[in-house]
Amino acid sequence: MILRFVNDIGIFLNVLTLKICDRTALYKYLSATCNRSFIVEKYLIKDLMVPISEYATVSEGATLFEAYLALEKAQEEYDHNKYRHRAILILDKNNRVIGKVGQLDVLRALEPKNEQFEMFEDISKFKFSSHFIMSLREQYLMQDEPLIDICKKTAQIKVEDLMRTPTKGEYVEEDTSLNIAIHQLVRGSHMALLVVRKNEIVGILRLTDVFAAIFHTMKECGLDIDSDIDKNIDKET
Amino acid sequence: MNALEKLFIRIVQRVNINLRELEFDARPYVWDLIPKNQMTKFYAFYGITPDHPLNLQFRHSGLAGSYFLGQCRVSNSLLYKCDVRGDELKKKGDKFQFKNFNIPVSKDEEIVIEDSAFVKTLIHNYSHDPETLEKFFIKDTISTHYANIHGAPSSGCFLGPFSTVDLTTMRDCIIGTFSYVQAGEISHLNIDPGTVWVRSPDSFNFLYHYPLKKLKDYIYFEAESLPQGIFIDFMESRKEDFQRVFDVVNIEPYTNVPTTASLDRYAVIKPKTDIGENVLISQRAYLENSYLGKGANAQENCFIINSRLEGYNVTAHGAKIIEADLGQNVFVGFNSFLRGQPESRLTIDKESIIMPHTIVDIAEPLTIPPGQLVWGLITNRDDLETNSISISELSKINTRYSKGNMFFEGSGASFVSAFQGRIHHILEANGAFFNSLDNSGPGHAQKNQNMSFNTIQPYPRGDQEGLFPTILIQP
Repeated sequence: MILRFVNDIGIFLNVLTLKICDRTALYKYLSATCNRSFIVEKYLIKDLMVPISEYATVSEGATLFEAYLALEKAQEEYDHNKYRHRAILILDKNNRVIGKVGQLDVLRALEPKNEQFEMFEDISKFKFSSHFIMSLREQYLMQDEPLIDICKKTAQIKVEDLMRTPTKGEYVEEDTSLNIAIHQLVRGSHMALLVVRKNEIVGILRLTDVFAAIFHTMKECGLDIDSDIDKNIDKET
Repeated sequence: MNALEKLFIRIVQRVNINLRELEFDARPYVWDLIPKNQMTKFYAFYGITPDHPLNLQFRHSGLAGSYFLGQCRVSNSLLYKCDVRGDELKKKGDKFQFKNFNIPVSKDEEIVIEDSAFVKTLIHNYSHDPETLEKFFIKDTISTHYANIHGAPSSGCFLGPFSTVDLTTMRDCIIGTFSYVQAGEISHLNIDPGTVWVRSPDSFNFLYHYPLKKLKDYIYFEAESLPQGIFIDFMESRKEDFQRVFDVVNIEPYTNVPTTASLDRYAVIKPKTDIGENVLISQRAYLENSYLGKGANAQENCFIINSRLEGYNVTAHGAKIIEADLGQNVFVGFNSFLRGQPESRLTIDKESIIMPHTIVDIAEPLTIPPGQLVWGLITNRDDLETNSISISELSKINTRYSKGNMFFEGSGASFVSAFQGRIHHILEANGAFFNSLDNSGPGHAQKNQNMSFNTIQPYPRGDQEGLFPTILIQP
């Protein structure tokens, strides 16, 4: 019954977020509702991750446009699913990952960067309402230059000016159990984790792949979940 | 290291502990600001009159060149050329209105300064914090040149040069250079230089940010250097004029002061200055070739030069008016700097409000129409257009408004009413409406007349050099 509603990713993540905070409850929930398999046993990080050799990478010094071309190439060469790759890794001279440019980073780069616009951010600490601050931003953006011109300029920005350096919580060892990786994704609201083997990044574990694995597991034992939940409801009533 | 240096280190440490969340280190900013070798050079002094309470207590403190009035306790602190005026404090039995609370004051209020260091700072008014009505506390706080702590209890704060905190309780905050804050209560905030923020929760919120590049010409302060800029140059250029009034014990009184007016003995008055009825001229004010009409006032650290004030003008603490003509009831806020030129005078028509920390510095003549609210940096007509609004127009605003670097949200009418009410209160408290026929409405202009001053001195040498012995001064 519950799976009929879980096809919305937002609802699913809410369920996951609530449950991951209480690990015992999550185990109990999954064990109680699915006897045939358990996700931690069934899926390994190395099976779910995208190997770094298949991921979009550029060297530092590249422009954002060059990074986009690398992303496009990675998708064409390694992946038939159009929207699978969502970020580009930035490598230093020794081919070590030094940063990451995601979709949000690119969009953030389109935002105006001047004293006036930044002031709108700053005034929030002076207790102005969020409605007021939003209206100031909207007013400013209405008068800003056309989006096509902003895109042209942004395409020439060096990736190192946009990239984010991954935080500690964005790395996961290859042999770490999947439930720990899930915890890292949820707690840090990350879209992906960098998978490490002997201090070397060997792949990327993406939220979308983890989601698919969990969803698949639940779907596999969907009938059991339905009947168990119905039983529980009967007991409670 | 003598006791004074140890004390200074202790104060800096206490401020840093309070500001650790903001990752602020006060030491490189202030170590050279208080001239430790000059702490023996200047006496401290206090005023006595029959109209003011007298309860001064000093313990383990340096007080060089500082002035005290009323009720004040200072311990473990360094005050260099400061004014601490405890003459507007609440008295036992007074009632303090805060929102729906009518709170009785249980004992005479006092200013209590502990573990703090101030340079050329003005401290006065009374605590507006309903939680601490009887104690206007300032502790673990450092303030720098020409800052104003006005009715603003403070704990663990740092105030940059020419900053003002007004009627606001502050905890663990940094107030940037030339920033003005009147916001009721603030904590753990780092206020950038050149911020003017006036907020009354649930009523209105006004904010202006100075363009920092331009502000730096006027005042600039960074670690390991002294404050610099036009403001400092201006003050330094008139320093010698004050030297005489502080050096001479019995100064020759300035004639032609009406009996209803008050001219402080520590003010500088230069020729062709004309003082009207009910005028108040506070100490460290500087007047030169100017006219002050009935009920006008020049508060501490004000400079009025080659200017004409038609009457009932408030020139708040630290404001400077040069080559300007002000109509009646013009208010000039804290630390404002209004500078015309001999051939390009600044005219401010009646009933205009110059917001605290406003700079009007012009090379061409400029007239501000009557009934305007003016803020920020103005150097020409275009700036005036961007940084002003008519008070009647502002009164109609009931949602939000922005213009240039100014942001306003809330009720314009409440904002105008609050300002006008306060201006009226200041004039009243200063005795501007005093009627000599029935002796009604006396204020500072009348009460401060014939004040006596006593001086106190620090240890001249030895381990305690520059510190004052424990001193209790009571009736």
